[in-house]
Amino acid sequence: MNTEHPVYRRWSMRQRDWAVVFWIAFLSAAAGAFVLFGLINPLDMIGNWAAEYDIGVRLAYGLAFAFLYLLCLLACSLTMFMIRTGPQRGHARGEGRRPRPEIHDPAKNNPDLDDEDWQ
Amino acid sequence: MSLAEGADDSLYRKEAKVYPRDVNGTFASLRRLAMVLLLGLYYLIPWVNWSGHQSVLFDLPARKFYIFGITFWPQDFIYLALMLIIAGLSLFFFTAVAGRLWCGFACPQTVWTEVFLLMERFIEGDRNKRMKLDASPWNSNKVVRKLTKQFLWVLFALWTGFTFVGFFTPIRELGQSVMGLQLGSWETFWLLFYSLATYGNAGILREQVCKYMCPYARFQSAMFDKDTLVIAYDESRGEPRGGRSKSDSPAKKGLGDCINCTLCVQVCPTGIDIREGLQIECIACAACIDMCDQVMDKMDYEKGLIRYTTEHVLSGGVTRVFRPRIWVYGVLLLALIVGLAWSVNHRVLLRADLLRDRNALYRELPDERIENVYTLKLINMDFKPHRYRIETDNDDMLLLVSPQLELEPEQVGSFILRIQAPANAGRGSVEVNVTFSTEDEPVIKRTVNTRFLLPFE
Repeated sequence: MNTEHPVYRRWSMRQRDWAVVFWIAFLSAAAGAFVLFGLINPLDMIGNWAAEYDIGVRLAYGLAFAFLYLLCLLACSLTMFMIRTGPQRGHARGEGRRPRPEIHDPAKNNPDLDDEDWQ
Repeated sequence: MSLAEGADDSLYRKEAKVYPRDVNGTFASLRRLAMVLLLGLYYLIPWVNWSGHQSVLFDLPARKFYIFGITFWPQDFIYLALMLIIAGLSLFFFTAVAGRLWCGFACPQTVWTEVFLLMERFIEGDRNKRMKLDASPWNSNKVVRKLTKQFLWVLFALWTGFTFVGFFTPIRELGQSVMGLQLGSWETFWLLFYSLATYGNAGILREQVCKYMCPYARFQSAMFDKDTLVIAYDESRGEPRGGRSKSDSPAKKGLGDCINCTLCVQVCPTGIDIREGLQIECIACAACIDMCDQVMDKMDYEKGLIRYTTEHVLSGGVTRVFRPRIWVYGVLLLALIVGLAWSVNHRVLLRADLLRDRNALYRELPDERIENVYTLKLINMDFKPHRYRIETDNDDMLLLVSPQLELEPEQVGSFILRIQAPANAGRGSVEVNVTFSTEDEPVIKRTVNTRFLLPFE
């Protein structure tokens, strides 16, 4: 039986990473909003300058959540970027790492460099 | 036997400790100059007073930021945003022109690591002596040197942490609190936290921060092009490399100019071999250029085997400095700097907010006039006390304010403003412009637009 058939609509690794970023940022922002607004009235944070716009409580919650979501998205995206561009699997074992550069006495095969404090 | 016990089968390969060799030369001098200048600014600025305040003080409890005689309030958030954009654009601009200039000369990680290395060299000696000391068994000499180094590092880290907190709490008061052992809990926390961060980053982690933790190193390649200045080894001139005596003719021996002394590797603070090509670990400190130039001098060869150059030059072309991205970054940067300077210079040192009394839309007075009540919030952002005048563009309206509009320097005042108008002034809602101005300086003037409510019928 031929099992090697293309799987349609499967997401690429990059798409899955982005989906995780959006989802985790949403969860973090939601948790953050719950904790924050359990302690603080959002209207107190807005200050007097916003009074003329007559921001209601719901809009204040919405705006604050959007702000938190944006911050979490930034943090998650940067984390994803650092992981994707960072050391790959096996790095800790030394895989994929450049061999340590060869270092030796500068005067080795270079007799004119032997008068320096390079020993 | 577990895998970790056998050296070859170890699960982890330890990062080799880097012992950078000391180097002198043009770029080393520039790096030291940058270090003295930047750290001098960092450690001295909080002690300098300007217009009666600490020259730079971020007073978070009072929500005022003092920066060289200018007080920024939370309402001036736009300036902070502009400054951050300018900082970001500067990074783009200088990276596109000269590569990792920031990393090599101005990054706090580089600058503080340089200081910690200076102390290490002073106590333990240069590269070879440090390597021998680390490899030697513990004896009185090693204990004394290691303890002295740690003492200096901790002392310097604590001073750094103290200065950091001094940007947020007046540093003279902070100094007195430290001397009297009366430091507050948050100040103690931040002092120790920043000291630990300095000690850990500059003393222990060093190049690991640049290699694994810094995001800038990862996305810098997006700002590089073939005309960006990079530090490069001239492979066509240097290879094949090999040892030789000064009297030998490289041509006869079939060698290039690189004598394979490995000194360029020994001076590198991140421990890389620049001869392998441009690497993400290279922070462009130019220590290898200084060292290689000295070796080339000694061998009577032309300097510049390792040098600042561009990919275009290395492939036989010519560097084009003024390319589209440089123009775009440059023009944007210039426009933002000019805009910020103009805006700060023309900032009105008065802020006024009018808040309508929400309990009553309007009030009918016995003399058939209509009255609206507002809460007026005035902020005197000047360093001088002021008395303010209040007027409106509508001659029918009468403005009554209490108490008198007088504010001390940098004071926030709250007042009750009553605006009265004849009943026939209109119906529903009428727009009113209320202007506040100082009696002594006409430049300080602010107009606030609000609505005056009247009966609808």
